[in-house]
Amino acid sequence: MILLEPHNVIIQTTLADKILKPSSVDVQFVDYDGVRFHLSTTPERKTLLLLSMHIRCWDELVQYGALDVLRREYGSLLQPQSEPDYNVSLAIDLEQLPASNEDRESFIMSVALFKRNALAAPFEHAFTSQKGLDSAGAGTGDLMQIHYRDEEAIYIQASHDRVTVIFSTVFRDETDRIYGKVFLQEFVDARRQPSIQTAPQVLYSNRDPPLEIRHLPNLRNTDDTGYVTFVLFPRHFTNPATASATISHIQLFRDYLHYHIKCSKAYMHSRMRHRVAEFQKVLNRAKTEVATTEKKTASGRTLVSR
Amino acid sequence: MSVLAPIICDNGTGYSKVGFAGNSDPSFVFPTAIATKGSASSSSNAPAIPSKPGHLASKRGVEDLDFFIGDEALANAKTPGYGVHYPIRHGMIDNWDHMERYWEQTIFKYLRAEPEDHYFLLTEPPLNAPENREQTAEIFFESFNIKGLYIAVQAVLALAASWSSNRVTDRTLTGTVIDSGDGVTHVIPCAEGYVIGSAIKHIPIAGRDISQFVLNLMRERGEMATVPPEDQLRVASKVKENYSYVCQDIVKEFRKYDADPYKHFERYEGEHSVTGRKYAVDVGYERFLAPEIFFNPEIYSSDFLTPLPEIVDEVIKQSPIDVRRGLYKNIVLSGGSTMFQHFGQRLKRDLKQLVDRRLDASVLASGSVQKSSGVEVDVISHKRQRYAVWYGGSLLASLPEFYTSCHTKAQYDEIGPSICRRYQIFGSAT
Repeated sequence: MILLEPHNVIIQTTLADKILKPSSVDVQFVDYDGVRFHLSTTPERKTLLLLSMHIRCWDELVQYGALDVLRREYGSLLQPQSEPDYNVSLAIDLEQLPASNEDRESFIMSVALFKRNALAAPFEHAFTSQKGLDSAGAGTGDLMQIHYRDEEAIYIQASHDRVTVIFSTVFRDETDRIYGKVFLQEFVDARRQPSIQTAPQVLYSNRDPPLEIRHLPNLRNTDDTGYVTFVLFPRHFTNPATASATISHIQLFRDYLHYHIKCSKAYMHSRMRHRVAEFQKVLNRAKTEVATTEKKTASGRTLVSR
Repeated sequence: MSVLAPIICDNGTGYSKVGFAGNSDPSFVFPTAIATKGSASSSSNAPAIPSKPGHLASKRGVEDLDFFIGDEALANAKTPGYGVHYPIRHGMIDNWDHMERYWEQTIFKYLRAEPEDHYFLLTEPPLNAPENREQTAEIFFESFNIKGLYIAVQAVLALAASWSSNRVTDRTLTGTVIDSGDGVTHVIPCAEGYVIGSAIKHIPIAGRDISQFVLNLMRERGEMATVPPEDQLRVASKVKENYSYVCQDIVKEFRKYDADPYKHFERYEGEHSVTGRKYAVDVGYERFLAPEIFFNPEIYSSDFLTPLPEIVDEVIKQSPIDVRRGLYKNIVLSGGSTMFQHFGQRLKRDLKQLVDRRLDASVLASGSVQKSSGVEVDVISHKRQRYAVWYGGSLLASLPEFYTSCHTKAQYDEIGPSICRRYQIFGSAT
């Protein structure tokens, strides 16, 4: 698994189960970036599922049109009143599902993409404003900030020929910071390869924020912060299918990065264990042979070891 | 809510149960299997070595990311180039490389959680070596940077799970746990949350053996003739799961079946997995004979002959004398193979008979001078028995005390892996 999947597996499997066999359910689970879900049925009706989501940056997302995106994706499923403690709720009636199997699967998938769709709003907003600016020929759109984690944020800005996405990321662990640095440097380097010339440009800076966001107040300029800038060109989002793939991938960038740091560590550990096992073999070869002299008692009888 | 729900990860020999604290069922139950590139029996299992120049991406491949876990691993077992491994043997982790990658994908692909934001509760078998605990802690704190870790003994969690039964009034961690999964059955005495290691006993009869026994019985009766050979074991285990129960008296039960076979015989209907041809088998005596191998093992095996109630009695007799009453009073079932109807009642009855007979004998021996006040024997079965260990973990991890019993990342960084050798027991007075 190199890329993380955009959909939530728990939503997918639970929904598929409940469609086959409706029964009461009440589960809470999470997704990346501190998103919490609650999937429950009402006591009266086992076929009516309520899926609620709590997302830290909900107010910012609403400001950038998250409700419109969700309404477009889910239509009447979207509840006007969300469950207390959560930001947004979907009501799924298992009796009113698409009939054919394929439609059902795509319906389940679209529900499983709940978080992705909510987070997609600012990106879509940026893509459309780029188109507007392009016809104007110059200028930049407003800088959108999404504080999706306590200390980390995504900044998105559209200008007339591109959309810039900046991630700020904090490494809590010393080792992680070094891995992250190497990894992000490789990201920048890998783009020089001829095969991936069409990929978006990636810039990495440690500690110093990029010029686009330097004017913002309350940026953390400590050693453990890094900034990754992606420059998306119109070819990455003019085609709707490409645009949605771009959004799915770029949203998960931070988690992707941290996942790969962890994978690299696991790889290092497996090399270390292998090396230790090899050394142990050498040490075992160096063991002296056990002396096998015959021991006798004073009366001349032999001691037999058992 | 600043703290996200802790993650409960119960990795067993056969199946892993993972999910979030506070839920009543695990989010995922899948085989503890990992399918990696390279055959299962290859002699050199050294990880790939990077070659020298160029970018990192060209320096080495991504073989270490190319693997599947759980159900996907089994589905890919026949894909050329992949081999399936089981990183846990007899409850203990055997291959740390595979286990680390298994956890990696459990967390990132299935649970979709950022490990840095979560506390984890892991389980371990009784008599696990402290070194294993250290290794586990190293992986979780250093690879995954988790917030905090608690490693609990499975038997203790099973005891905690029994608190959900309405027959349990005092929340005690003293009791005997009968944990019967797929491979082996353990009888584990616990006193105040500590396992009495010297008295643990294992019984080599568990789920797999019951399925095999059902299969043998049905073959002997000629029922399996219509079932395709590759489906037979699966049919037998379905019969075991869906139709079996524990009877109170075999002879009476046989008579009942013979008098009115139409009332008691069930019919199992299946479909060939490839051709789609339908078949049906009659399910008869195996309904009550299957779980009977716990109580009369001689009908199945010729090397292991001690019935389960006797083993439980012996385990308790080997435990310290001051906890024996507590152990008799609180016998807790856990695992899929204890799910048979009336299993608890039968065990209780047989055990009670054993104890009473012994008490009567001692009364006689003392010449009827000393009389015991009697020993209370109780077997507790509850609704969450199948995933009892996981459920107990979920229950304990949703208590506020959980966070104080955990070792945090800061403590780990300060002291090192040896901190995880000891864990505070929940509810203990310290």
